[in-house]
Amino acid sequence: MRRPLSLKIGISGVRGVVGDSLTPQLVTAFSAAFGAHVGAGPIVIGTDSRPSRDMVKQAAIAGLMSVGCAPIDLGIVPVPALQLYVRQSGAFGGICITASHNPIEWNALKFFGPDGILLRPNQAVELTDLYHQGVYPRVTYRDLTDVKEDHTAAVRHHRAVLGAVDVERIRARRFRVVVDCCNGAASRSTPAFLRSLGCEVVEMFTDPEQPFPHNPEPLPENIGALCNRVKEVGAHIGFVQDADADRLAVVNERGEPLGEECTLALVVRHMLRKQVGPVVVNVSTSRMVDDVAAEFGAPVYRTRVGEVNVVEKMLEVNAQVGGEGNGGVIVPAINPCRDSFVGMAFLLESLAHEGCSISQLRSRIPEYVIVKEKVDVSAREIAPALRRFQEAYRGERLDLTDGVKVMWEDRWVQARGSNTEPIIRVTAEAPTEDLARQLAAEAIARLQVGHNGA
Amino acid sequence: MIASLHADTLRQLKIGTSWLRGVVGEALTPELVVDFACAFGTWCDGGTVVVGRDTRASSPLLRAAVVSGLMSCGCEVVDLGVCSTPLVSFAVRERGAAGGISITGSHNSARWNALKFLGPDGALLNAVLSEELLDIYHASAFIQAGWQNLRKIVSAPGVLDRYLDHLVAGLNVERIRAREYRVAIDLCNGACGSAATAFLTRLGCRVFPLNEEPSGEFAHAPAPSPANMRQLAALMRCLGADLGAAINIDGDRIGFVTNEGVPLSEEYALPLAARNVLAKEPGPIVTTYSTSSMIDAIAREYGQDVIRTSVGEGYVMDRAFAEGAVIAGEGSGGIAFPRITPTFDALATLGVVLEEMARTGKSVAELAAMLPARAMRKGELGAAPDVVYRVVEGFRKKYAALGPNTADGVRIDWPGAWLHVRASNTEPLLRVITEADTAERAEELFEEAMTLARRLAFGVGM
Repeated sequence: MRRPLSLKIGISGVRGVVGDSLTPQLVTAFSAAFGAHVGAGPIVIGTDSRPSRDMVKQAAIAGLMSVGCAPIDLGIVPVPALQLYVRQSGAFGGICITASHNPIEWNALKFFGPDGILLRPNQAVELTDLYHQGVYPRVTYRDLTDVKEDHTAAVRHHRAVLGAVDVERIRARRFRVVVDCCNGAASRSTPAFLRSLGCEVVEMFTDPEQPFPHNPEPLPENIGALCNRVKEVGAHIGFVQDADADRLAVVNERGEPLGEECTLALVVRHMLRKQVGPVVVNVSTSRMVDDVAAEFGAPVYRTRVGEVNVVEKMLEVNAQVGGEGNGGVIVPAINPCRDSFVGMAFLLESLAHEGCSISQLRSRIPEYVIVKEKVDVSAREIAPALRRFQEAYRGERLDLTDGVKVMWEDRWVQARGSNTEPIIRVTAEAPTEDLARQLAAEAIARLQVGHNGA
Repeated sequence: MIASLHADTLRQLKIGTSWLRGVVGEALTPELVVDFACAFGTWCDGGTVVVGRDTRASSPLLRAAVVSGLMSCGCEVVDLGVCSTPLVSFAVRERGAAGGISITGSHNSARWNALKFLGPDGALLNAVLSEELLDIYHASAFIQAGWQNLRKIVSAPGVLDRYLDHLVAGLNVERIRAREYRVAIDLCNGACGSAATAFLTRLGCRVFPLNEEPSGEFAHAPAPSPANMRQLAALMRCLGADLGAAINIDGDRIGFVTNEGVPLSEEYALPLAARNVLAKEPGPIVTTYSTSSMIDAIAREYGQDVIRTSVGEGYVMDRAFAEGAVIAGEGSGGIAFPRITPTFDALATLGVVLEEMARTGKSVAELAAMLPARAMRKGELGAAPDVVYRVVEGFRKKYAALGPNTADGVRIDWPGAWLHVRASNTEPLLRVITEADTAERAEELFEEAMTLARRLAFGVGM
């Protein structure tokens, strides 16, 4: 069998393993293609804290400059801060160098349009077409612009988020907060942000020069240290961000992880309490959101997985809140992208308004258990497996927005091909863990890719 | 059609001994630069590499591509920012680095840029090492460092001061300082500005800088030849200063204007410096087949040999090290003192010429007048490489009876005169140089050669 490819060029950007597929040649060429796509103007560029950041960034700068773009280098920056900066600065676009929650050997380019939103699928297709053509509109020395550095992105970002919450109410509570930044892009920004909300901040892993202390995906199994620390210091709440700070997970005052799906549900409930309106989430997001929305009589729209799909729908239906179940909270009025700072601010505001603890807040929304499994398959096996899966559930209520989702009264199971890896993701949600596991196991069996399933 | 496309492409890119040169926005793409940086990083085995750049508008672009490629091989990059090629060379030696890259189009016009590759000895790669680098490039056999082996970009604080310390250590500073020379320097908006002023200040000179602000828009063409010294000559006539010096963009070439405001041919830099060096320490001199025979007179004075090589710093310095030369250089104004600086170094040359003025108590005009009167004509004929080759072959056949030297193109010597015809290393053109006792003779030989060249190239002219 062929060696699995570590390179993934798709609608979410270019992703690869450093020292293997993510070469400076590839990055330079792709950045030149991006410059050609958005036009010769200011392009914002930033990175997370991975050790490969400078190598990749210099390659991207070379590619951008070669087609006449003027790179604005934000340095190490949370991706939502970069997205906001792009929109506010009138730049032609942005590139964030981050592999998000992927392990440290990976890196990637995420591309943003002038509105700070990830390229739409049709734009991403145009970009890859430009790349594959391999002919870029190079400029001569007269039209070259040197790199400009700007370190104000974090401050601009804080200002935008703080302007949308009741800072005085939050400050009055003097929350003690433990934050685990995973030595990622928000390591400098998050503690300062929380302090401006009057929090007493206990920092964990806030040195971007150090390697990731754990896998940067904010899952319960990766945040044991945070849980212990919250208990030790008697904090009100614990926060953990992924490496580029778009996703957020929460630990309660007893040091128990709430599970990343709770983040969005809690924020949605808070926002609907303030003002009722439509909610947009992706098809894989917990049905906690549906229960919360039903309580307020708010409609829920579901989209394909991927930030840009959710954002597009939000703008279309004028939703004030939405996001992705993996801890990605989106409030377009502040920033039309997943933003962990928005999540933190509204969760703290919610605690301040309701005058309760985070575990009490959690108890106000129904309990579900979500189980996420991966099944390794080659790309060519994905479609037949999903057809077999759909056939096996014929007669049930199906949603084919993204892969195949099968729904019952209080549970659901979904199988879909990943955007980023050669796998089928199987997600099941039910009121108890046993039920969810059982649903997932059944679903995997019905994919009939048995040799390496589950 | 194919032939003209071919010629067009070759006008934009030249890969030569110790460098990669091209037109930015055309053939010199960032992808190509990244590839070459990866090849060099691999050649350096992922070690430390010093990087400097000139003031060209395209140099930051090339720097980004170079740094990225080197880092991907696991190299530690010492980024000196805007600086001269000799400073890159010094930093390579000081740090014990595995190599260096100077990003500079040197004397070429602003649309060009280039990478000059330096080895661990701080000298440009010689022909053998350049071949090795090219082989790695062509095989695309690059080291790909994993994330855990990536290193950082670092700076080298204080390196300029230590470089200047090194230069003045070889000079009789007290003697120069005592003269309180007034020196005008034209920096052509290049990378050498602050270094030149600091250097001259250390030598007790009063400095009158011209075009010193770093910029990608050069005040004039960068080669330090009389055609580009009009501004400096005018300034010299107003100031009545002791010496005028024109330094090119990356600080490897120098030309002089006399205290009388007369621009000297760039050919004077080597003999002016050589007399001082040989007076202190006799030894062989290495230069090229295209360099003025003024240098032979000085060598005879001190009973030394002049050893000639193909044109190109890589060839000259390689031979200089082999022969234990005390001075090596080209008629273009690029001069090295192998025991002090392994690359052509304008500031080192400037220091030596000032020391010669101080030692002899003579003005630069008097020193120039002591050199034998020679007349030189230089010209070029733009043509595709295959045409240039045909012309050179034609000269070889035509002068076969005179026993021409064919080490680098064709050189023919007559009593009191010579002709050198060769393909340029850096551009698609034929270079024609003649030198004789009198201007008439040089002109006559030159016209004859150009007519023959045109006829061989295009079948016209006779």
